Amino acid sequence: MQGGNTLEQLPTGKDADRAALDRARKVLGSIILGKDKQIGLALSCLLARGHLLIEDLPGLGKTMLAQALARVLGLSFRRIQFTSDLLPADIVGVSVFRQNKGEFEFQPGPIFTQLILADEVNRATPKAQSALLEAMEEYQVTVDGNTRQLPRPFFVVATQNPADQIGTFPLPESQLDRFLMRLKLGYPNEESERMLLTGGDRRSMLNEIDAVCTPAQLQKLQEIASGVHMSSPLVDYIQALVRQTRASPEIDIGLSPRGAIALVAAAKAHAYVEHHSGVYPDDIQAVFAVVAGHRLQPAGNTSYRSSAELCQHVLDTVAIP
Amino acid sequence: MTIVAKPRGTDGSLLASLPWTLAALAFALAPHVQFLPFWITGAFFVCASWRYTIERRRHALPPTWIRAILALLCFLGVLVTYSSISGVGPGSALLAIMAALKLLETRRRRDQFVLLFISVFLVMSSLLREQYLWSLPYLLLAVLLTMTAWLRMSAAESETMRQSFRTGSRLVLYAVPLALAMWIFFPRLASPFWAVPIDTGTASSGLSDTMSPGDISSLSLSSAVAFRVNFDNTIPAPRDQYWRGLVLQHFNGRTWTGDELTIASQPKDQIVFAGAPVAYTVTLEPTRQQWVFALDMPYAWSLARTNIGPQQQLWRMQPIDQRVAYDVISYTEYQVDREMSRSVRDRYLAIPARSNPRTVRLAQQMRASAGSDADFVEAVLMKFHEEEYFYTLRPPPLGSHSVDRFLFDTKRGFCEHYASAFAVMMRAAGIPSRIVLGYQGGEMNPMGDYLIVRQADAHAWTEIWLEGVGWTRVDPTAAVAPERIDAGISGAMLDGTAAAWGLLPPSALLHRLSLTWDAMNAKWNDWVLGYGPENQDKFMQWLGMDDPDWRKMMLTLVSLVVALVAVISLLLFLRNRPPPRDRATVLYQRFIQKTGVTISIGETPAAYATRVRSRFSADSIDTITSAYLDARYGPVDPAALQRLKIAVSALSHPHQQ
Repeated sequence: MQGGNTLEQLPTGKDADRAALDRARKVLGSIILGKDKQIGLALSCLLARGHLLIEDLPGLGKTMLAQALARVLGLSFRRIQFTSDLLPADIVGVSVFRQNKGEFEFQPGPIFTQLILADEVNRATPKAQSALLEAMEEYQVTVDGNTRQLPRPFFVVATQNPADQIGTFPLPESQLDRFLMRLKLGYPNEESERMLLTGGDRRSMLNEIDAVCTPAQLQKLQEIASGVHMSSPLVDYIQALVRQTRASPEIDIGLSPRGAIALVAAAKAHAYVEHHSGVYPDDIQAVFAVVAGHRLQPAGNTSYRSSAELCQHVLDTVAIP
Repeated sequence: MTIVAKPRGTDGSLLASLPWTLAALAFALAPHVQFLPFWITGAFFVCASWRYTIERRRHALPPTWIRAILALLCFLGVLVTYSSISGVGPGSALLAIMAALKLLETRRRRDQFVLLFISVFLVMSSLLREQYLWSLPYLLLAVLLTMTAWLRMSAAESETMRQSFRTGSRLVLYAVPLALAMWIFFPRLASPFWAVPIDTGTASSGLSDTMSPGDISSLSLSSAVAFRVNFDNTIPAPRDQYWRGLVLQHFNGRTWTGDELTIASQPKDQIVFAGAPVAYTVTLEPTRQQWVFALDMPYAWSLARTNIGPQQQLWRMQPIDQRVAYDVISYTEYQVDREMSRSVRDRYLAIPARSNPRTVRLAQQMRASAGSDADFVEAVLMKFHEEEYFYTLRPPPLGSHSVDRFLFDTKRGFCEHYASAFAVMMRAAGIPSRIVLGYQGGEMNPMGDYLIVRQADAHAWTEIWLEGVGWTRVDPTAAVAPERIDAGISGAMLDGTAAAWGLLPPSALLHRLSLTWDAMNAKWNDWVLGYGPENQDKFMQWLGMDDPDWRKMMLTLVSLVVALVAVISLLLFLRNRPPPRDRATVLYQRFIQKTGVTISIGETPAAYATRVRSRFSADSIDTITSAYLDARYGPVDPAALQRLKIAVSALSHPHQQ
């Protein structure tokens, strides 16, 4: 789809930001092969100031995507491997008594970073999970009664393995709700897989790439993305979709108003990433499954096996105004 | 012991819509209640509340054997009550029972549909009994309620009561022109294909075929309409408004009875008509008797199978069990039976021996002192007028010599007492006499300009035979209470004179209202219920159809129905698919039409473009799609709309495969 309008209309300063975003997408595409759609969605998620949950089997590049995102966008990056014995202090940090100074000194935990990868988030206990979730919602952590601000921008990219259910603590709905999107990467296609097998080592490639934009630029991009035009027929469309999730007999719990707001933000960011002059129906449809999928509770007797199918069913029953 | 693992109890899914279904059923049943035996109404309410409790408490429905036994019992109950299962009474009883019992096996929506069908049938079957003016609004309301219940049943939970009601009203509104067209144009036949059996058990109202003291005074409190009269031009004076019914000439000392009904051999020879004719139309309410009422003296009448008897009474072959309208021409001046043979005269002179001896003696004395028959009649009337005789609704009871008791002791009576006493005195003095039963007077309804004759206007008067003159009407009541004859019962009641007879005047406002209501009912009878073959013919001619026959009417009906259905479908179509007003959308719709590929629900323009790209030049498809997306969903951009317009009109037809 052609869509040069936005570019042409933008002032020169924003031109550079736009170009940085396109470059970031290109670089990411060269590392995560054949996943252009998912990369677009992941970038949209960050542009919409949302946290990202990647749910897939091991070895499909979840960690790689998170690392590459941090790298390309010039964000500081930390990784926490969630395990069942992980304590909140292991995430947010701890106050240590310095004998030489005779006072407590705060040792910041790994959360004090701009992009944190919470690997296998469902392996940790609810207590450890909730430490992370406070940070996600409030952009701050509280240790020993002191509230400390987290660096901005701040993103959480969490991963979980859907197949492995033993010894896990699945995130409750209220916490799933904090993630703007839930992505699945899926297997690469034949061609991309061949390139993976024959091409160079991805991890070393990752170390070679340079940041294409600065955190400040990213914040500016977020600003622009939230200002993308959304026509009133499409607001109607989003309302119709939300209404359908609430009325459909296939769904027990439909989208909340917060879910609807998330849908709008994600669609706008996606439109910006895709160079659309405004939000198109395609943007809403593209983000609908990843934004709504983990927020809907299917009815017990639903005939749709996955949330993706359920979301597609909703999209297929609502006319586009 | 075996454990039956069967899901028990209802799932409560009908809880929301069940009350509406019950309300619709109850509403449809209401007009039947007064005709149905009490136990059927009771059974319906028991079943309805039972079913509702089941749904609320999630109980199980009663097992099949209980339902089977109940059904059998109810069927036998109807059979015993009516000793028949056909006809309006047993039919509606069975329908009501069916509704009640169907409730007990209503498990799903499908069963609820059946209940609502029964509700519609109940409403319609109430029209088989009577079609009153209020039946129409009631019927509409019942249909509306049933429709609403229907919509409540199939509506999404989010639909409000108001929406259901509005949709229901709209659907009923769509049906009204269709119903009207069918009612007007469906060819009416003089003799219908089927006849609805009428309940014969109902007691007749109005005059009976004998007269004893107290018979007519018991009618005088009834304000039920006996018949209505539309005069063509001249309205005779109230004192000439004697509506002749039946004639009685056998007296047994207390009760007067008439002859078997026969047909007069030469009616026109017996009667000599004089003066100006009075033409009018009578709409007679059902009496379940054979009398046909007409103004004294009927000359010609339009009612089929109706004869004039030897005593100038009109009667029909079959009892009048449905409202009938007929035209009559009468002459208020006439002479009847100027010649009468000795033997016939003797029959009109018979009084039982040893009955009412005092009266007989008095009459003979008075005849002897009077010079002529005419003077004697005058003297008797003067006696009624001047002595202490009272006209009253509540006369004291009389013994076996009823005329003696009345004439000499009580001196209080209603018209039948005076008529009876006068006739007996005439016979005792050798003047042939007979009693005529009918109605006298009536009330003009200024709202509709017609005369209402009520049961209260029932009257008895006397006819005596005078040499050379024939039968002459003498109304002794006129001598006692002249205002009864001059103003009629209603008039006397309104001006307060009737209070002395025991009739209380109605409030003026109430009376006005009742007159208005009666006028509306009369119009309803004329225009709606009276819309038979004749009126239809007239109406068709008025509409411009020359020589209407059933083929033309059927043709008109079919084309009208087709046209109406088309109009309604168009309305529905426009309603459910509002025309797109957005310019970009209109252009895009044109594009979709050009491609000939329908866009499916939820398909985005981009997805559609990939689907149709192979059939057209990919460039033009992409241009159209992107221009449409920009024009419709982007910021305001007239250039995009222009691009879209050009691209859509430039699009050529699909590649030939």
